[in-house]
Amino acid sequence: MLEVSDLHLKIGDALILNGVSFSAQAGDSIGIIGPNGSGKTTLFNCLSGFVLPFQGSVSLRGENITHTPPYLRAELGVGRVFQSFGIFREMTVLENLVVALESRAGVLRTFFPWSTTSRMIRAQAKEFAAQVKLDGKLSQRAGMLSGGQMRLLEIVRALAFGAEVFLLDEPTAGVSPKMKDEVAALISHVQTLGKTTLIIEHDINFVQSFSKRVLVLDQGRVILDDSPENVRKNDLLREIYFGK
Amino acid sequence: MEYIIHLAILVGIYLILAQSFNLTIGLGRMFNLAHVASYALGAYVTALASTELEMGFGRCLISSALVSGLFAILLGGIALRLAGDYFAIGTLAFASIVSALLINWKSVTKGVLGIPGIPRPEIGGVALYDNLQFGYVVGVLVIVSLTVLYFVFSSPFGRVLRGQAEDQLAMMALGRDVRLINTLGFFIASAFAGVAGALFAYYINYIDPSSFSFSEMVFLVTIVVVGSPGSFWGCVVATFFLVLLPEPLRFVDLPSSILGPMRQLLHSIVLLSVVWFNRAKLFPAQREV
Ligand SMILES: Nc1ncnc2c1ncn2[C@@H]1O[C@H](COP(=O)(O)OP(=O)(O)OP(=O)(O)O)[C@@H](O)[C@H]1O
Ligand SMILES: [Mg+2]
Repeated sequence: MLEVSDLHLKIGDALILNGVSFSAQAGDSIGIIGPNGSGKTTLFNCLSGFVLPFQGSVSLRGENITHTPPYLRAELGVGRVFQSFGIFREMTVLENLVVALESRAGVLRTFFPWSTTSRMIRAQAKEFAAQVKLDGKLSQRAGMLSGGQMRLLEIVRALAFGAEVFLLDEPTAGVSPKMKDEVAALISHVQTLGKTTLIIEHDINFVQSFSKRVLVLDQGRVILDDSPENVRKNDLLREIYFGK
Repeated sequence: MEYIIHLAILVGIYLILAQSFNLTIGLGRMFNLAHVASYALGAYVTALASTELEMGFGRCLISSALVSGLFAILLGGIALRLAGDYFAIGTLAFASIVSALLINWKSVTKGVLGIPGIPRPEIGGVALYDNLQFGYVVGVLVIVSLTVLYFVFSSPFGRVLRGQAEDQLAMMALGRDVRLINTLGFFIASAFAGVAGALFAYYINYIDPSSFSFSEMVFLVTIVVVGSPGSFWGCVVATFFLVLLPEPLRFVDLPSSILGPMRQLLHSIVLLSVVWFNRAKLFPAQREV
């Protein structure tokens, strides 16, 4: 499904990714952990196409997308949930979903607001909102939601858009403990739909509950790629987090 | 009565000009400082096409819209590559180039002397020298333009403009080609500025570079800010309010050398106070990536 090979990336003069390789099969769920600044978000940005590597490649379903612009990757199925919340706060909850569904439906079919497609999109948007219990807040500004609700909205929006590979960057950051369970439940739901999920998380327990496989990133390299149990046991993990 | 018709035509031209500006700066939050340059291009194209080439009304309007629109594509192609504040500076550079051309390319634009004798448009063989008749034509064009712009504002396209203003990366991650959409937004806005320019040239029959100075740009910013950036109806109300605001000054016994600066001063005071009272909303704290 997703093949990442030998990614090297610089920001300015700093080498941020230093040879990242891994692959994910369709339906896989992979946890990604690593200390602050180890390059996790940058790796996602590279997969989303926001930054380009100077060496190495990314391919999706066998198609080389290393230099494909972000919007085309999205169309190919790369979905993103941002560490710093990627919802449109000035829009309503409903519009946040509508904007994704309209993008999927294309320009021609959504050109006239009175078209059947446009009406269908509104109905679908409401269903997606209901999935995350936001159907009571459809016309509320999304910026008024709690951190947890924003996260739920963003994940369900990627689902509405039709993403196949979900890049979830710290989905529980800024989420209250109570809402964490709901975010977890939604991610499980996404997985049962057969989607491929890559989840960046600091909390290895959280990662373990979703992923049969964990990548450990340190200084722009994958230093471990194993089952959560083995990663836990590995001394390298303690080393990079706490020093020797 | 002539006076009221005059004001109505003026308001009409500014309704098109300000609302199209609102599309880029208000809805898309692209700090485009070249909108008046688009307006000027539209005015000059119609002025030249109707005097030198004796082109008809429809053709002049379309040429103005196209030339201004193409200008925006050129402008967008370059300025949209610039991030943040540099974008505004890039558009400002384009605006300066246009005003330098208007003043210095004398063989075409006649420089500061301007272009006199622009004939009123003819419809059905009758030239619209009667302001009331010309006013009707402006009225129809204003309604058509605002309807189209309203449609753009509330369309999926408008939603993308609004969304990318908040978060370009998130919009790209939802499969939207943000650069293309911004350029298209630029094109539409600028083409309507061109139409406004054409109407302006037809109306006052004589144009020179002084009508398209930087204070005109400040005036447009004032309208959009007073109307709340991105708000369609706010912009409409603000246009009426600000175009008509200095009018009572006319009835005070003041020489015109004072009247002009008074008008600008009034607009600046309005702009300053609105910006001051809405500063938290207009300049929200920057979000981190
Ligand atoms: N736009 C940028 N300009 C300069 N340096 C950057 C930029 N983005 C990231 N970096 C640097 O790249 C390194 C990796 O950053 P990245 O955000 O990928 O880390 P991360 O693993 O996601 O960290 P965190 O756990 O804090 O989210 C950091 O040292 C950071 O300072
Ligand atoms: Mg990060």
